[in-house]
Amino acid sequence: MHIMEGFLPGIWAIIWYIVSIPVVIYGIIRIKKLAEEVPDSTSLLAVSGAFMFILSSLKIPSVTGSCSHPTGNGIGAAIFGPAVVSVLATITLVFQALLLAHGGITTLGANIFSMGIVGPFAAWGIYKILNNRGISPSITIFFAAVFGNLFTYITTSFQLAMAFPEPTFQSALILFLEIFALTQIPLAIAEGFLAIVIWDQLMKYQPKLLEKLNVLKVKISSNKEIAGDS
Amino acid sequence: MEIDYIAHTNELRNINSSIKFITAIFLMILVFIVNIPIFSFLIAFLIAIILLFLAKVPIKFYLKFISIPFGFSLITCVIMAFFFGSGTIIYETGILDIVIREDALVLAILTFSRTLACFSALGFLALTTPIAEVLNNLDKIKVPKVFIEIALLMYTVIFVFLEQVKIMTNAQQTRMGYNGIKNSYRSLGLLVANLFLRSLDKSEQLQRTLDSRGYSGELPKYNP
Repeated sequence: MHIMEGFLPGIWAIIWYIVSIPVVIYGIIRIKKLAEEVPDSTSLLAVSGAFMFILSSLKIPSVTGSCSHPTGNGIGAAIFGPAVVSVLATITLVFQALLLAHGGITTLGANIFSMGIVGPFAAWGIYKILNNRGISPSITIFFAAVFGNLFTYITTSFQLAMAFPEPTFQSALILFLEIFALTQIPLAIAEGFLAIVIWDQLMKYQPKLLEKLNVLKVKISSNKEIAGDS
Repeated sequence: MEIDYIAHTNELRNINSSIKFITAIFLMILVFIVNIPIFSFLIAFLIAIILLFLAKVPIKFYLKFISIPFGFSLITCVIMAFFFGSGTIIYETGILDIVIREDALVLAILTFSRTLACFSALGFLALTTPIAEVLNNLDKIKVPKVFIEIALLMYTVIFVFLEQVKIMTNAQQTRMGYNGIKNSYRSLGLLVANLFLRSLDKSEQLQRTLDSRGYSGELPKYNP
C-alpha cells in the first residue's frame, strides 16, 4: 500500500521529492557508468525492473484468506544492491501509478523514499550483517525481506504523522503505527516466508545466476557475495 | 491489462501527448494551490465528464478504476475525522469517548477532496495516454535518458512476464499447485524463482534483439 495520490499536503509532497531525488540521481549515475562499461547491463536492468514490478503485483496467500502484495524490497536489494533498486523502484512506482492506480504522481517522492530508499537499504543492511556473521541463507533472507517490508511501512507512518501532526506528532505517529502494525506485521512475515522459498530455489541455480549477475555484482555495488556465499 | 488497452484505444488517444501530460500535471498543481474542497470536487467531476463523454472510457471501467482509491481515501479520512483534532467538539458518538472535532472534520474533507481530484487527474493521464508516450514526455522535464530507456524496455518486458505468470500459474494449478497454505507458498516461490531465471534468459535475448537492430542507447520514436 502506497500513499495515495493527493493525500499529502503540497509542502510535504515537495519535501519528499527533494529528499528522494538525490538518491535516485546517484543510482542513475551508477547505472549510466555501468551502461557505458558493460552495454549488456541495460537489458539486464530493464528485465530486473520488470521482475520487481511483477513481484510486487503478485498476491501472497495469507492465513486469514485475505491477500496482499509483497514489496520485493528484500529480494531485490539482496540481489542487485540498494542503489540500483532505488532506480528500479522509482520506475516501478511510476508504472504502478499509471497502470494499476496504486500510489501517484504527487506522492511519488514520498513513496520513493519509503519503498525505494529506506526499505531496500534496511533490507540490504540486515542482509549484509547476517551474511557476514555466517548465518544460514534462509534465515538471512527471511529477516532481510521482513525488515525491508516493515521499514517501508514504518517510514510511511512517519511520513503520514509528519504530514498530519494532529493533535501532536507523537499521537498521530502512534495511531498510524498501530494501524500499520495490525495489518503489516503478518504480511511482512508472510513475505519473509515467501522469500525463503524463492531464495532456496535460486540457490539451486546458483552457478548460472552468478554468471549472469556478475555484471551487476562487480561494477555496481561493493557487496561481493550478492547471490552467493551460501 | 485493461487500463493499457483503454489508454491505446480511447477517443483522446491522438491528441498530442505533451498536452495531456501538461494538463494532468497542471490540474494537480492547481488543486494543491487552490486547496478548497468544492473546487477539488469540481475538478474531479469535470475530469469524469471528459473521460466518460469525450474519451469514451466505458463507464463500468471508470467506476471500477475510481472505486478502489475512492473507498480507501474515504475510510482513511473517516478515521482522520474521528481520531484527529483538538478543536471544538461538534458531534459525540457516545462510544468510548470518540468525538468528531471541527478542525479534524475540515482536514478530513479537505484531504478527501484533494485525493479525489488528484486521483482523477492521474486517471486522466493514465486512461488517455499510453505509457510509452508519457515516458517520452519525461525527456522534456530533464529526466535522464538512461532512466527513460530502462523504463521503456521494462514496459515491454512486463507484458511478456504477465503472460508467462498466467501460463505458469495455470500449469501449477492443473498439477495440484496452490492447494492449501503451505503448498501455496511453495507454488508461488517456485513461480517467482523460475520467473527470475527466465527473466535472465530473456535479458540476453532482449540484448541480442537490440544489438541486431543497431541499438545505441536510444530508441528513436515518431513524433507527429
